Amino acid sequence: MPGIPSDSSSLIPFALEGSSQPPPVYPLQHGLRAPIHRIHISWSRGNLLNVTCLRPPPDQQEEMAREDDGIGGKAIEVLLGGAILEGNIGEHKRRRIAYESVKSYAFLHDKKISLAKMETGDNLSAPALTYWWQYTLEYSKSIRDILGNARLHRPLIEDPKNFLKPEEVEQPIGTKAAWELMEIFYVDMQLLSWLPERLVDWLEGYDSLLSKTETVHSKLAILQRKVTSMRVVEDEPGYWNGLAAALAVGWLDVVAKLLRLHGSYDPDQFDKRETENGLVEAVVLLVSEMPRMRPNLPNGKLGICYQTKHDYIKGLEKWRVKVSGLESSPFWVHCNHRPTRDGLINLLHILLGDAKHIADATSHWLELFISHLLYIRPLTNGLEGMGNLAEKCMNLKPSANNGLTSLLAGILSENPEIVLADCLKAFGPWIVAHAVDLLTANSEYTDGLLNEERYQLGGASIGELYMLVYAQALASHPLTWQVAPAYLSTCLNQGRGLLEILLLRQPVQNYRVVLKTLEICHLYELGNISTHIMKMAGMYQWKHGHKGLGIYWFQQSRDRTRLSQIAHKLFDNIGKSLSDDSFKQWEGLMELLGSDVGIAGGLEFLHKYREFKRSLQQIVNGGTVEAAKKSTELLVQLMRNPSTPQRFWLPLLLDSVKLLEWRSGPLLGVSETNLLLGKLQELSMAKLRPDFHGGELKPNALGDVRLALAKNLGRAILEES
Amino acid sequence: MADSGDRRRFIYNLHEQSKPVGAVRWLPSVSPFLRLAAMSVLSPPAIEIHSFSSQSPNPNPDLNLVSSYPLPSSATSLTSFKSHNYTLIAASTSTGSLHIFSVNPYDGKIESQIISISDKDSFHCGPIQSIDVETSSTGECATAGEDGRVNLVLVGEDKVENFRVCESDGLVAYTAVKWGSPVEFVTGGVGPGLQWWDKRRPGGPVAQFKGVWGRGTVTGMIHSIDIHPSRKHTCVVGGSSGAVYAWDLRWQQQAITLAGTGLEAKSQPFSESEVWEVKYDAFTPQVSSTKVLPVMMCSEDGFLAVLQQDERPVQLLEEPCAINSFDIDPQNPSDVIVALEWESVGILSRGREETEMA
Repeated sequence: MPGIPSDSSSLIPFALEGSSQPPPVYPLQHGLRAPIHRIHISWSRGNLLNVTCLRPPPDQQEEMAREDDGIGGKAIEVLLGGAILEGNIGEHKRRRIAYESVKSYAFLHDKKISLAKMETGDNLSAPALTYWWQYTLEYSKSIRDILGNARLHRPLIEDPKNFLKPEEVEQPIGTKAAWELMEIFYVDMQLLSWLPERLVDWLEGYDSLLSKTETVHSKLAILQRKVTSMRVVEDEPGYWNGLAAALAVGWLDVVAKLLRLHGSYDPDQFDKRETENGLVEAVVLLVSEMPRMRPNLPNGKLGICYQTKHDYIKGLEKWRVKVSGLESSPFWVHCNHRPTRDGLINLLHILLGDAKHIADATSHWLELFISHLLYIRPLTNGLEGMGNLAEKCMNLKPSANNGLTSLLAGILSENPEIVLADCLKAFGPWIVAHAVDLLTANSEYTDGLLNEERYQLGGASIGELYMLVYAQALASHPLTWQVAPAYLSTCLNQGRGLLEILLLRQPVQNYRVVLKTLEICHLYELGNISTHIMKMAGMYQWKHGHKGLGIYWFQQSRDRTRLSQIAHKLFDNIGKSLSDDSFKQWEGLMELLGSDVGIAGGLEFLHKYREFKRSLQQIVNGGTVEAAKKSTELLVQLMRNPSTPQRFWLPLLLDSVKLLEWRSGPLLGVSETNLLLGKLQELSMAKLRPDFHGGELKPNALGDVRLALAKNLGRAILEES
Repeated sequence: MADSGDRRRFIYNLHEQSKPVGAVRWLPSVSPFLRLAAMSVLSPPAIEIHSFSSQSPNPNPDLNLVSSYPLPSSATSLTSFKSHNYTLIAASTSTGSLHIFSVNPYDGKIESQIISISDKDSFHCGPIQSIDVETSSTGECATAGEDGRVNLVLVGEDKVENFRVCESDGLVAYTAVKWGSPVEFVTGGVGPGLQWWDKRRPGGPVAQFKGVWGRGTVTGMIHSIDIHPSRKHTCVVGGSSGAVYAWDLRWQQQAITLAGTGLEAKSQPFSESEVWEVKYDAFTPQVSSTKVLPVMMCSEDGFLAVLQQDERPVQLLEEPCAINSFDIDPQNPSDVIVALEWESVGILSRGREETEMA
């Protein structure tokens, strides 16, 4: 409702009748004093909204205007629907990702097309699919690199008190976490057997993104800050809590490092703590020997890897026997330090997979889920089992969901549509457009679901729709629009049309930008669009007085209509004035138009015409017979010359009346007069044709000329006889 | 087809900028350890001076922003030169203004503004597409604009003078200008090819090369001209349709094609898109004294290459985006700085394998 703002300084979005939820209110700080007279809202680039608030015009409330130093209004930019997790990605980082990912994307699509060509049908058949996922994996890895490599600067001398990962150069970004999660579940077929361990690794990288305060990572970060100032770490409950938390999510190296900070390792001490120290070391040993169902471990990580399920189960049994053996060992009685004893036993319970202890140690449901996978159900396979487990964990530890957790929930519920929708909501259009290929890599069902053409989407598939959304986001920015065509060209249904619109919308003011746009037209073989753009550029330049550039673009676009219009206009003007300045202009224009004028020898005619006009001028000012004769010669030359445009015949004939009426005798002979009469006759005939261009001459001009010619003919016959 | 250069001998570093970069130029450096480069950036429009250490043990030295000179609108042309021991930078803008300022050669800080002209009537109305400064004697700056004007700006002791060489009333849009000698310069533009001007003979160009671009089948624009100080009668030109050709004043009627579909049919097109910049490359050895000297070019389709007459082009870079501008360091011709469309600047060092091995 324009012009009727609410009393408060908030904007309230329009709500549908009967909607169950109350409309959300976003207060907008505009800093203007009430009353607000008018509000204008318009879209800017992307999802930027321009809101202009105007106060009443000063003539209505003059006094107030004076008070406020005449601030009559304000324009505010409002960014809508920014991705939740991605606050730490700057605008330029986003653009960088857009620039670099297009290469990987285009490469994958080229592969897809060439594979499809090798196969008979359009869709990939079974043998192609078997190695298709490897291409997708490569693609996924290259995208992951673009999203940021955690370049760690490891210090040369490691501080034993630095147990947490050194601060990464770049903060982990949610988009990358989401990408990796999808890669784990959808692409890498080799890793399916050790999926739980993959998730452990994943959580290690991105735990800090789950929540700001309630994560293992945040717990350990606090401990890390405190540990340097702690004198006796084993007396602090935070130390044991941190240990339990780190162990629960499987950060074994952190656990080992932390345990070695235990006071019993200190060589200078008064008490006898050998037994205590032995127990701590035994736990460290057990932790570092934990069997893990995975092919290998990165450097510095602890555990013993088992490749096959059979070996793993054997190893696990043996190890569990050792752990329970330590738990029931008689040495605990000799451990005098109570917190150490309780803490270590708690750790052993976690290692043995005690559900209660694990639940106490973790903070987030996802962490609980991971530790269940690690200690209680290490052989969980298949999404259904994981889904049930996740649901259980969510009920046990209800924590606030964010983009990542709902993404994982979506993946486990095996619903790709929900996965994509969640991704779009949390991480923006970039990830969705690129992730469609991940989701469809190994599943024919998903492929069908996402790439099926849907009538209600105007023939587009869901995948294409997301691609279009991303392309629109790219196109809305003047720096990234050049990337958009690569995506639009893969959209078979509506991409072409949108690409044409995008190209036609580019500014034509700067010729360099026009050339860049034309280059894209050339690349995608859009010849008619480039013609349009060149015509638009030509019109712009012509209107702004850049005649040369204008004609250049018209010529490039082969715009005959406009060029001939220009030529007509040019000739119209030539008849009017013959000053030196304007003549130079015409000469230049004529040269530019070249053969496009449609009149052979245009320039030659112009020069002759000028010469004739000049000599005629002299005669009018009182010339001699010789001068008049010369003029006559020029006239006859012009009339004989086939390059003289027909439209000039009548003006020339009119000019010739002065010569025809020369007093001292006829200047034109019989044959010459006949020539002129012939031309006059031709002209009268031509006048009847619809395309005749007569110019602005008197209606009786033809008659005048005819009379003068007839008189002259008579005089000439008399003279010659 | 082009030979791809032996990349092992190259060190190429890409520096991401978080804003679009238009043109890049090396600045004369005083210290061998600290190198300076000027670049024109957008949003907001400015000329930025960046420094980087060329002797640093870090193989990937960062470009550091030293200073910035704001412009009223986007820069269209940028050039750096030395005059009376001053390092000067000249830039023109899309609103027809010219700016010259001096930079401290030791640290890259901007010292003082020398010229800032903007006058729709007596100077340019519309974008100045190209500028060039005559450095050997007069220090005159020639400006060529889309409005069809060519002006000369003389930076005197206390005053700034500019006079009009040509006013074509928009019939010609000039897009490139280059000095050949202290009194002669060449302009290029849209439509009728190249014009050779002589200050001693005012009134019009003394020679014209009517662009028989693609033997009359296509016309094109000229984007860049370069003239070698030792061969003042020859200019190399880069323009539309991947065309790079050399025009010799002594044989005005025909030009020598170095690349592109431009003038002769026999040459294989190397790049078919716009050639944004051409420069003589002093680093590549000359094959024959009778031939055109080696020329480096950059193009819209992301190539940086060295062209030689009757030889196959040597490709130095193949980027996924356009290379808008490049500059060869006059002091160290092995070093090339390039400006890429995707908000980044690259520095290419050629032939450093000995130092790398050591």
